[in-house]
Amino acid sequence: MFHLALRMLLGDRAKYLMLVGGLTFSALLMTQQNAVFQGLLSWTTSHMRNMRAPIWVVEGRVQQVNETKALRDTDVNRVRSVTGVDFAMPLFQGVLKARATDGSEKLIQMIGLHAGTLFGRPARMLSGNIEQLRVANAVVIDELAAERLGRAPAPGQAPRPLAVGDVFEINDREARVVGLCRTERHFFGYPYVFSTYDQALQFAPRQRKMLSMILASPRPGVPAEVAAAHIEAETGLKAYTVPEFERSTLDWIWKNTGIPASFMTTILLGFIVGVAIAGQTFYSFVLENLRNLGALKAMGASNGLLSAMLLLQAFTVGLVGYGIGLGLTALFGLAVSQGGQPPFLLQPAAVLRTLVAILIICFLAALLGIRKVAKLEPAIVFRG
Amino acid sequence: MFRKTSFYLAVLGVVATVLLVRRQSARPADPGPVSAPARSPYDGKVAATGLIEASRENVKVASPRPAVVTRVHVKVQQDVKAGDPLLQLDDREASARVAATLAQLAAAQSQLAVDQNLVEDQADQLARLERLERDRVASKDELSRRQFALAGATAKAAASKAQVAAIQAQLDLARTELSVLTVRAPRDGTVLQVNVREGEFAPAAALAEPLILLGDTRTLQVRAEIDEQNAVLVHPGAPAVGSLKGHAERSFNLRFVRVEPFVVPKRSLTGDSLERVDTRVLQVIYALDRPAFPAYVGQQVDVYIDREAAK
Repeated sequence: MFHLALRMLLGDRAKYLMLVGGLTFSALLMTQQNAVFQGLLSWTTSHMRNMRAPIWVVEGRVQQVNETKALRDTDVNRVRSVTGVDFAMPLFQGVLKARATDGSEKLIQMIGLHAGTLFGRPARMLSGNIEQLRVANAVVIDELAAERLGRAPAPGQAPRPLAVGDVFEINDREARVVGLCRTERHFFGYPYVFSTYDQALQFAPRQRKMLSMILASPRPGVPAEVAAAHIEAETGLKAYTVPEFERSTLDWIWKNTGIPASFMTTILLGFIVGVAIAGQTFYSFVLENLRNLGALKAMGASNGLLSAMLLLQAFTVGLVGYGIGLGLTALFGLAVSQGGQPPFLLQPAAVLRTLVAILIICFLAALLGIRKVAKLEPAIVFRG
Repeated sequence: MFRKTSFYLAVLGVVATVLLVRRQSARPADPGPVSAPARSPYDGKVAATGLIEASRENVKVASPRPAVVTRVHVKVQQDVKAGDPLLQLDDREASARVAATLAQLAAAQSQLAVDQNLVEDQADQLARLERLERDRVASKDELSRRQFALAGATAKAAASKAQVAAIQAQLDLARTELSVLTVRAPRDGTVLQVNVREGEFAPAAALAEPLILLGDTRTLQVRAEIDEQNAVLVHPGAPAVGSLKGHAERSFNLRFVRVEPFVVPKRSLTGDSLERVDTRVLQVIYALDRPAFPAYVGQQVDVYIDREAAK
C-alpha cells in the first residue's frame, strides 16, 4: 500500500517538482537566514573567542563584552586576592586610530595583554612569534588589519598586505608588526591589533583609568562559576564565565537592536511561503488523485491507512526538499566562508529547527488532504 | 530519472551540512599563558604589587654648594665607604682664597717677628740705661722715655700676634670652604645612580633626580602595595612570597618587617608626572635575602601574602 502511495506521488512529475521545489526554497530560506543571523550574533561575542579566558571580570554595570567601563589598576590585585582564583591578568581594550603607510586613517581594535604571560593571546599565529610583543612598539595584527593597513610597494601599484617587519602608526606612535594572527571577525568590523598592556596604554589617549577588563582563571578543581561568584562577592565587580557573558551579550543585542526582529521576520516568511506552496500543491495533488483514493476506500482501505499514506507522501517530499535546501545552504556557506562576508554560522540546533519546521509544514499540508479524504464518499469513483 | 536524482541530492545536501557544521564548530585549543603566571601557595591570599628597594632607604646625595662639578670620583655599582669622596665641585676660588690667606699669614708672622725683635731691642736698651741711671750718668727723663718705648713695642707685638691668630682663623675657614666642595659618602653603600657628569652644574637643592643615589644592595627589601579595600585582610607578621614580574619561576620567600602606618596615594609605576591619583594603598615592608638569580633595586614584584596566617 505504501509503495503504491509513493508511486502515486512520483508518478505526477509536475506536482512532485513543485512540492520539492517549494519546500527546498522554504528550507533554504529558513536555514540560510538563520545561519547568517547566528553568524552575525557570533560576531558580537568574537572577543571571547579571540581572547581566551575562563572568567571575564568587568565593572559592575557592564552587560556585554563590547562595552568597557574602566576599572582601577589595583582591581587586578583585588581579583587575584579572591579565594578560588588561580591568577588574574589585566586587559586593555579600545578602538584607536591607525594610519596606514599611504596616509589614510583606519580604526582598529587595540588589545593590550599582560606583558609577562600574554594571557588572552590569539590562538592561531600565522607568522612571527607572539613573545616578540615585549619588544618596544611591537604589535601583532590579524589578517584584516594586514589587508586594511596594507601598502603599495611603489606608487601606482596595487597595495600588498602588511607583513612581519612592516611599520605603521597608531595615534602618531610607531607600531612595528612582529606577527600575524588569525582572529574571528568582530561585529564592528575593526581589525584586531594585539600589544602588551603597558604598550597599549602608550598607544591609547591618556585617561584617568585605563584598565578595561580583567581576565581570570579559576584554581584547578574549582568550577569557573564558583570562582566568578567568589569574585563578585569579594570585590563587588561583575565576573562572567564565558557562557554567561555570551548569553548576556546576546540578550543585550536582542533587547537593544532590531537585528533579531528583522531576521526573525525573514525566517517566518520562509515558513509561511513553505506552508502556502506545499499546502496548496499538496491539496491539489490530493484533489487530482481523489478518484484513486476513492477506489482504495471502496476496496476497503480505512481512513487511518489512507491518512498514513498521505502523511508518507507529504514527509517524503518534505525530507527531499529539506535535504536539497540544506545542500544549497551549505554551498552558500562554503562560498562565503573564504571572504568572511556575510557572516555565516551553521549550528546543529538551527539545522534541526528547520527540520521540525519542514515537518510541521508537511503535516499541515497533509492535514488538508486527510480532511478531504476522510469526508470522501467511495461512490465518487462511479460518478462522472 | 529526476526523482532518483532528487533523492541523491537530498542525501548529499544533508551530508554536506553535517560536514560544514562540524567544520564551523571546530575551535583552536585555548593557547593559555606563554609563561606560568604568578600563583599563590596559600589558599587565602592577598595579592599585591611590590617594588624592590635597598634595605635601608636609598640616600639621594646632594651638593652643599651650587657649583660646577669638576670631577666625579665614583662609578655606578661601585662600593663606597663612609667618607670616600664622591664628587669634586669647582674649588679654584676656594683654593685661591686659601693661598691668599696663607700669604697674609706669612706676612703677619714676619711682622710679628720684627715687632718681637723691636721689643727685645728696647728691653736691652732699657736695661743698659737703668745701670747708667743708677751710676747717675743718664738722666731720669731719658730712662722714662726708654720705658715707654719698651711698653709701646710690647703692645705692638701683641697686636701683631692677634693679627696672626685672626689670619690663622681665616685660613681655617678657607680650608673648610675648600673641603666642603668635596662631596663625600655619608655612609657605606653601593652607588646605584650617577646623574651628573664633569662640567655639569650641581644646584644645592633637593632634586627629583638625585646627583648620586647611594644604597645598600647586599640586603634588599620589598615594598608591597595593597589596595586600601584589601588593607583589612593583611595581618602584621603574615609571611609572603614574591616573584619577579613576568617570571613566576623566579620566586623568593619574604619576611615581614613592618606595615607603614600611613596609607599613601598609589604611585603609578609608569613614572608619568601627570598621573592622577585614583586609589590609595597600604604599604607593607618585607625583607628578602639576595636570591641566586639577579634581582635589581627598583624591579617590580608580584607578591602574595598569606591571609590565614594570624588566625
